[in-house]
Amino acid sequence: MKIPKQPVNQRVLKYLITVLIVAGSIWSASGLEITPERFLSAPSKVWILVTAMFPLDLSQEAIDRIVPKVGESLFIAWAGTVIGAIFSFPISFLAANNVSLNSFSRATKQVLNVIRAFPELILAFVLLPITGLGPLTGTLAVGIHSIGTLGKLSSEVIEGIDEGPLESIKSSGGSKLNELFFGVIPQVMPTITSYWLYRFEINLRASAVLGVVGAGGVGAELINQLRFRDFPRAGTVLVVTILMVLIVDTISAAIRKRIIKGREIKV
Amino acid sequence: MIKVPKKPLPSLLTVIGYPFAIALTIFSFFQVGFNIEDFKRNWENRKLVTDTLFDPKWEWAIENASQALLETIQIAILASILGCFIALPLSFYASRATNQTTVTYLIYKSFLNFIRTIPDLFWAMLFTVAVGLGPFAGVLALVMFSMAIMGKLLSETIDSIDLGPLEAAKASGAKHNQAVFTSALPQILPNFTAYFLYIFELCIRASVILGLVGAGGVGRIIETQRIFLRFDRISPIIVLILVAVIAIEQFSVWLRRKIL
Repeated sequence: MKIPKQPVNQRVLKYLITVLIVAGSIWSASGLEITPERFLSAPSKVWILVTAMFPLDLSQEAIDRIVPKVGESLFIAWAGTVIGAIFSFPISFLAANNVSLNSFSRATKQVLNVIRAFPELILAFVLLPITGLGPLTGTLAVGIHSIGTLGKLSSEVIEGIDEGPLESIKSSGGSKLNELFFGVIPQVMPTITSYWLYRFEINLRASAVLGVVGAGGVGAELINQLRFRDFPRAGTVLVVTILMVLIVDTISAAIRKRIIKGREIKV
Repeated sequence: MIKVPKKPLPSLLTVIGYPFAIALTIFSFFQVGFNIEDFKRNWENRKLVTDTLFDPKWEWAIENASQALLETIQIAILASILGCFIALPLSFYASRATNQTTVTYLIYKSFLNFIRTIPDLFWAMLFTVAVGLGPFAGVLALVMFSMAIMGKLLSETIDSIDLGPLEAAKASGAKHNQAVFTSALPQILPNFTAYFLYIFELCIRASVILGLVGAGGVGRIIETQRIFLRFDRISPIIVLILVAVIAIEQFSVWLRRKIL
């Protein structure tokens, strides 16, 4: 007879977690030399910065400079997502343990884990000497990172499919390939497409940041304006970026909702 | 004879969506400028990276970067704890299930949406200007970052709680806040813990790059070595970060399984 494991005592666990959280924050705060006074004085300092940004610099010259940069971030994010989607799609089938061989699946998952562990910025500056300063580097960095994340998410979707359709294809004489095309892909496509869009939203934020190392996009503009203490213009950069992200998020969220829910068909 | 239903016409989304997506893709790749000539010319430069990248200077990295790596982890711990616990009450105000006042609901909801639109490194840049260079700016940036994610995830979880206990508490005379505290909070605590661990992982990853804009942590060392193309010094640091990130991830997966 197998004796079930005794569950961890809930109350002990609760105290342990509380102690862990309190001790962790005290250890971190003392290590970083952060005191409560610094936190209390932070809002007023932030307020000074915010007031320095207004009124925004909305001169024609500023707009002409900033809007194309924000657009560049958008294109980097989209192109990067497309790279990620195209490459991660076949890889995710290799990584799913119900479609691919067990050893294959494990190896592919490890590779995806390693890719995922590098932040876009680190990829960007390793690529920088090869692909040059500019948006191409950013695109590749975003793309490579997306392969890792999308590959993981998609393979998990594939692992969670309903086996019923596969069985019925098999029993009516379908080949393995038939199973893949008529059993697996139609089931996973809506979720995977919505993950692609979701990744695009995340990549948009990532690509906005990439400019900091010179990999294209709006980040360079913001850091330069802040360095030169041109706060009204930095404010404009921020506002334009926020507007773009908000618009893209709203559209993408609406499309994702529609993809997952499907279309209502009147019979 | 079985009547086969007619295949519905393609929806508007497919009619407009596919061509638009393809056009945007072509235009984007054109915009980011893949130029084979440049690529060939720069391909020679790869030696700058590859020669040094695979010749890691371990002693140098351990001697110089371990302190900064510790700082990175401390930033992530402090920021994720603060951010998540600030977001906990905010999420209740940003959910329809626990906040019936439309005005305050909209204010909290849009506040959380607003801080979510600004990328983590932008927060870091802004805080380095506002409170000065150093890890404190990094902590504040990641507080905003984790607050935004936790706020979104948790408020959506609260939207879908079982309203029965809330009603029961109110029927037995509890005030709104008491009802929320005794019947809504226990429902979402397991989710909160899971999200917290997830956000902690995200913060560890994010805190690595904070140093690039002077907000503390190991990124500062990476940035200075990057400028001098000392990839032989960067690569061991990257490996150290990788090991730390994976170890913390495994720990959090283990803890999640224990708790949930």
